[in-house]
Amino acid sequence: SFMIVGVVDKGHKAVLKPEDKLKISENEALEILKAASHGCRLDSFEGSHAIVNGAQTAWEMLHDEAMLTRITTSCTDLDNILGGGISCKEVTEIGGVPGIGKTQFGYLFAILDFCINLELLLLLRGNRNYRIQLAVNVQIPADYGGLGGKAIYIDTEGSFMVERAMQIAEACIKDMLEYDGLLRKDSQTRHLKMQPKELLGNIFYFRICSYTEQIAMINFLEKFVSEHKDVKVVIIDSITLHFRQDFDDMALRTRVLSGMALKLMKLAKTFSLAVVLLNQVTTKYSEGSFHLSLALGDSWSHACTNRVILYWNGNERYAYIDKSPSLRSASAPYSVLYNFAVLCNHASRKLGEI
Amino acid sequence: MLAHFYQGQQALLLKTGCSNPTSNELLFFFFGSVEDLLIHDLYVLVALAEQQSNSERLKQGITQVLSIIDGQHQPWLNGMDLLEDAQQNKHLLSTGCERIDFLLQGGLREGHLTELVGPSSSGKTQVCLQVASNVAKEYSGSVVFFDTGNSFSPKRIEQILGQLSDHSDIESNKILEQVMSNIVCHPVFDIFTLLDVLHQLESKLRSQVYGGSKVRLLIVDSISSLITPILGGSSAQGHALMIAAGFLLKELAHRHNLSAVVTNHMVGGEGGTLKPALGESWRSMPHVRLHLFRDSKSSICNMSILRHPYIVSAFAHMIL
Repeated sequence: SFMIVGVVDKGHKAVLKPEDKLKISENEALEILKAASHGCRLDSFEGSHAIVNGAQTAWEMLHDEAMLTRITTSCTDLDNILGGGISCKEVTEIGGVPGIGKTQFGYLFAILDFCINLELLLLLRGNRNYRIQLAVNVQIPADYGGLGGKAIYIDTEGSFMVERAMQIAEACIKDMLEYDGLLRKDSQTRHLKMQPKELLGNIFYFRICSYTEQIAMINFLEKFVSEHKDVKVVIIDSITLHFRQDFDDMALRTRVLSGMALKLMKLAKTFSLAVVLLNQVTTKYSEGSFHLSLALGDSWSHACTNRVILYWNGNERYAYIDKSPSLRSASAPYSVLYNFAVLCNHASRKLGEI
Repeated sequence: MLAHFYQGQQALLLKTGCSNPTSNELLFFFFGSVEDLLIHDLYVLVALAEQQSNSERLKQGITQVLSIIDGQHQPWLNGMDLLEDAQQNKHLLSTGCERIDFLLQGGLREGHLTELVGPSSSGKTQVCLQVASNVAKEYSGSVVFFDTGNSFSPKRIEQILGQLSDHSDIESNKILEQVMSNIVCHPVFDIFTLLDVLHQLESKLRSQVYGGSKVRLLIVDSISSLITPILGGSSAQGHALMIAAGFLLKELAHRHNLSAVVTNHMVGGEGGTLKPALGESWRSMPHVRLHLFRDSKSSICNMSILRHPYIVSAFAHMIL
């Protein structure tokens, strides 16, 4: 028989004193110990539902989700099919042929997550009456610098060009000035003191040259993000490059990639970030014909929560939602503009397309 | 009071509450080995004991020892017991989609581990969300959803419940809250967390300490993303963990009369065809294996049965 030495509750007060001996069998003692250890465990996720510690009910999650911000793509059509933009807490993969604009999306998310939300863009793109109405209702960030929204840009290809990022930052600031002027029409004017350099200063840039560095980087991200809590988006351009060649052991590659995918999922969930993976395409031969599919094959295809595929349709660029738990499959056109806030509505193509 | 039975190099320690010390020693002396005791039928043992002079004590000793041994393992069940259990406890859970129910002759069975396997974006998560919503609504049961890819979407659940319900607006919000509070989602990002949480769930269900509705459905979406990082390589630990997880799910399903659903992805096989991931050992683990695939760029999902205890292969087409 076992003897309980003492039982304490959470407040460290003795509930059972050593004098009270319990005559129980070994199995019962093990059960009690198990139940006690489960009850006291601290879990990293919120929620303490009775069934499982660390779980949340769907009702609670529904309300939490409504408060999550989304990062706009600056193209209203695309935002509409994405349900407002790229969602934080999820891993989104964007794939397409070279030259279609994947890196432009990369620049955009790195800069735009800083301050602009969908309502602001509706303001600027919408009609005049709508603009004024919204200008009164929309919530104003306390100060532009404070909302935060830093970005981590992990570059494996070396395709990040600072000049282009500067161009985009300047275009964004121009938009924001316009918004600021519009909003403050009735009250006192406030000067927007922001330089493009400040926007660029909010991007943490890492250059990766081999798959070892990539694995190390992803392992390091958790620590980095816990030290820089204002990071809102992690962009990896491109995730597949270093794994496509020089990897002899395919089984090892599968293991490493799926481990990486899980770590990114955990990162997105724990810190409520948006993780954006840019991926290349490759040709695949099946059913008697060649067609394009995303690199790294079937084993990687389940590594993201959402997938957007960019493709050419004649002379126009289109984005297609290939995989999403809550969005319908849909296509939306977009364009890449030269010297405005990068991606605009289809209707604005005439302004000068790249 | 301990009784030791020695059989060559093996020793079996049995704790007995026996107040009569001598009967154990007599048994030991008489039978000599545990093997002899266990091999012989009860009637044979009793008959043998009858022949001895102190037969009463021997018989007492035999019944005590056998009851202790019985307590160490699951009780033996005969066919009638199993049938009764299946009829009374193991109900069919409708999935909410008529065609899937028709394919499965009723729905998902409690006590079964069902696997949904298919290539990417073939509808596996959608089926899971659909079943979760329907079970929470129709059977007022709890659903536990383990999400490994951040694909649990409360918004989608709300949409599905909106389609299923036909109440007026005033009541529907309250009902929505009630139903959605029964669906619980836990994010898991490695196999050890999954095993830990399943053990927690098992001890809670066994001790019945929680309040609220009965857990009817357990979903792991997707189990393959947890296992692929550890499977293969030089050590067999990944394989062992995969089998452990499978057995734990099956035990939970059978013991507590709930239905377990897992999703799996596909990998390239020979000749460019796709085959389910996780290998040969996992193939025989789930009771029911359903294969989902979608025609390219169309919204029609196809589901076929790869393996089922009592249904011959069949197909179904539906729009999710």
